[in-house]
Amino acid sequence: MTAPAVTRPPTLIPDEAACADTLARLKAAREPRVVVVGNPNVGKTTLINALAGTNLKVGNWSGVTVEKREAHLNHAGRRVHLLDLPGAYSLSPHTPEELITRTALLDEAPDAVLNVLDAGNLERNLYLTLQLMDYRLPVAVALNLVDEAREKGVQVDSRALSRLLGVPVVETVASRARGTDTVLDSALGHATLGIGVRYPEAIERAVEALSTRMVGVDTLPPHAHRYLALTLLEGDPSVRGRLNATGHAALVQAANAQLLELDTQGLDPLIEIAEARYALAGDIARAAAPQAQARRTVTERLDALALHPWLGIPLFLALVLLVFRLTFTVAAPFVDLIGGPLQDTLTGWASAALSWFPLARDLVTGAIIPGVGTVLSFLPTLLVLYLAMSFLEDSGYMARAAFLMDRAMRSVGLDGRAFIPLILGFGCNVPAVYATRTLERRSDRLLVSMILPFMSCSARLPVYVVFAAALFPRQASLLVWAMYTLGMLVALAFAFVLRRTSYPAEGSGVLLELPPYRFPTAQVLWKHAWRRTASFARRARTTVLATVAGVWLLLAIPAVSGASFATVAPQDSLFGRVSQAMSPIFAPLGFGTWQATGALVPGFIAKEVVVGTLGQIYLGEQAARPAALGLVDGVVQAGRATWDAVVASVSAIPTILALPSLNADATGDLNTPLATALARAFTPASGLSYLVFVLLYTPCIATVGALAQEHGRRFAWTTVAYQLATAWVAAFLVYLIARAVL
Amino acid sequence: MPDVPLDSLAPGQTAHVVALDPAHPLRRRLMELGFVRGAPVTVVRRAPLGDPVELRIGATLLALRADDLRLIRVRA
Ligand SMILES: Nc1nc2c(ncn2[C@@H]2O[C@H](COP(=O)(O)OP(=O)(O)OP(=O)(O)O)[C@@H](O)[C@H]2O)c(=O)[nH]1
Ligand SMILES: [Mg+2]
Repeated sequence: MTAPAVTRPPTLIPDEAACADTLARLKAAREPRVVVVGNPNVGKTTLINALAGTNLKVGNWSGVTVEKREAHLNHAGRRVHLLDLPGAYSLSPHTPEELITRTALLDEAPDAVLNVLDAGNLERNLYLTLQLMDYRLPVAVALNLVDEAREKGVQVDSRALSRLLGVPVVETVASRARGTDTVLDSALGHATLGIGVRYPEAIERAVEALSTRMVGVDTLPPHAHRYLALTLLEGDPSVRGRLNATGHAALVQAANAQLLELDTQGLDPLIEIAEARYALAGDIARAAAPQAQARRTVTERLDALALHPWLGIPLFLALVLLVFRLTFTVAAPFVDLIGGPLQDTLTGWASAALSWFPLARDLVTGAIIPGVGTVLSFLPTLLVLYLAMSFLEDSGYMARAAFLMDRAMRSVGLDGRAFIPLILGFGCNVPAVYATRTLERRSDRLLVSMILPFMSCSARLPVYVVFAAALFPRQASLLVWAMYTLGMLVALAFAFVLRRTSYPAEGSGVLLELPPYRFPTAQVLWKHAWRRTASFARRARTTVLATVAGVWLLLAIPAVSGASFATVAPQDSLFGRVSQAMSPIFAPLGFGTWQATGALVPGFIAKEVVVGTLGQIYLGEQAARPAALGLVDGVVQAGRATWDAVVASVSAIPTILALPSLNADATGDLNTPLATALARAFTPASGLSYLVFVLLYTPCIATVGALAQEHGRRFAWTTVAYQLATAWVAAFLVYLIARAVL
Repeated sequence: MPDVPLDSLAPGQTAHVVALDPAHPLRRRLMELGFVRGAPVTVVRRAPLGDPVELRIGATLLALRADDLRLIRVRA
């Protein structure tokens, strides 16, 4: 079909002359501010990064940019401020991010708007463009993703598009920085007001009536009149609230009167306005991109498999399993390296360097190096996990996972998107807490954050392994799986309960977007994964450092007379005495000894230190101090160990595809002295109860920090408290049942 | 041809939007995404567990739950 050019004439705006001021302002601005606006996931941030050489976060799902970000650059002698905004389908906000975008447009006094379009989805993208043009600011268009569109068989004639819209259009492939060099010339030199939609007569009359009331009001600049009038007629609650709050209640009243009037004529402005915009958007899209016959896209072909009725879910589960195996197999040699040889070398040097200050030496070699080292030894695991997760996210697969799991999550009152942070929680709870940001509703974010710590993170695994070896050597892997499953069930059960009590669903209606599959660039993946890993490392430097030093101090302070600082036996230290005092709380759970209690306390700092503390307490083990190596020897040894780790890691890759077996980890530890000691100190029932307690008792300090950062301190401590209570009750029940059965 | 709710379409079928129920929780959003009178909408597939349902409207792929499909009226 050869569509005619646009059939509707551009609207004549009453105050067009006044709007022309904005053009003059753009020309004159010495530091022009350009806002970058467009639908979600069309490459706005990528484009800004290409233009300004910045490093803002991108990703292939909607809602990557969740706050406004600014980039600066010099262009033709002017300093340009580029404002990156969250993606929006419209300027009538539906999500908090869209509200940010709308507010920035209204409040940031932009000199021009750079509207980024997805060339492969012109009609929907033009809906926003046309709405933007009701806000009479200079607009320039970047027609992005032209490569992807071409693959779909869509060719957009950008000259025709420019003519039809009345604004400059530049074709770009932002991810490969193609076409980007002329974007700024276009936005700063040629941006104009463009056309306008002509709405049905009754709507136009109402718009005019409302615009007339805004003339001459300082706080309502002429370029905003038409947009504000239309938005009021659409019944957008946030714009009403805003106008009411800024002393324009009379205007809102006038809009109400107009709405009543339209209603008596049987008109719903929301529908009329949307239809008029879509009619024009459709006309323009068809004229600028005469549709080639639809080709079966890569996305459709991949989805036929990924969302297959029978294969979809097994494939998803296999993929998750693969990611975790990848994580542990590839990263394990590095974990051993950091936790072993590197740490030993450092300890050796530190004890030599500090030999004249025994207290400082003990603090550094006995607490700080092993404590911080244990946490840092998780860095490789996290880096690999994040790389894999970034791949799944950036490729577009995560959105499919949400689609597959939605029905299952609905039975506990959540939706499919909540599944992603829960899965991430198996790796480490901390990034999982941050991942809740992608959920659209606040109540969902809070609810998921609150149940997240029940997901058994990788740091809890060593505890299960050593207890399994000690008490249930034959059922070790069964026990480990049971722990993971129990954590998940408790999380879902709480979701079910909290949904009905504390966090009722806000509104209803679930809309999942399924973005096209894209192959993520290595550069983006790396940046993405590295940023997350680095923020974890920062926490190790601060929180963990402070806490290990604190525990060391408590273990060093004698609580009996006669003993002296730092040489006191553990049970006579302040730490030992406090644990002793707390231990009756755990008597009903079957492990009311000071030793068992004591190991739980540092577990609050990091779950991985539970095993270490058990070792120290039960074996009275004074960590053998490694011999101090010379500087050269130390470097050589560390270098050799690093090389071994690289080799081991690479050669482990083929084994990922082998059948998973958690037993492999368990068998190695079967006859350690710690296992023997634990077998004496615990009965099967009390051991089981201890494990359940460790699984559920409290998020580690890093997770508490993340929770506090995302949702406030009160929320974080509430989570700690309710989890402690849950853990106690669950462990008590398990102890009762296990004692009867075993 | 009478109107039918969108959830009565089988995967692979296409119909044209007639109206969104005023009570639809996503009414405004769906209009902005292209669910306006006359727009063709295709049911692509159901999720393996039966719900939600993947739709194509224009060049956009999205999924809605069956409850929310019921409130969209279409005509073949
Ligand atoms: N093939 C191709 N991919 C692109 C292009 N531009 C961006 N991308 C990719 O599209 C995805 C989305 O890019 P972003 O820059 O995060 O998109 P955004 O518009 O900022 O998204 P939100 O912040 O969520 O609104 C990324 O995976 C980019 O690498 C392009 O021109 N061609
Ligand atoms: Mg972005």
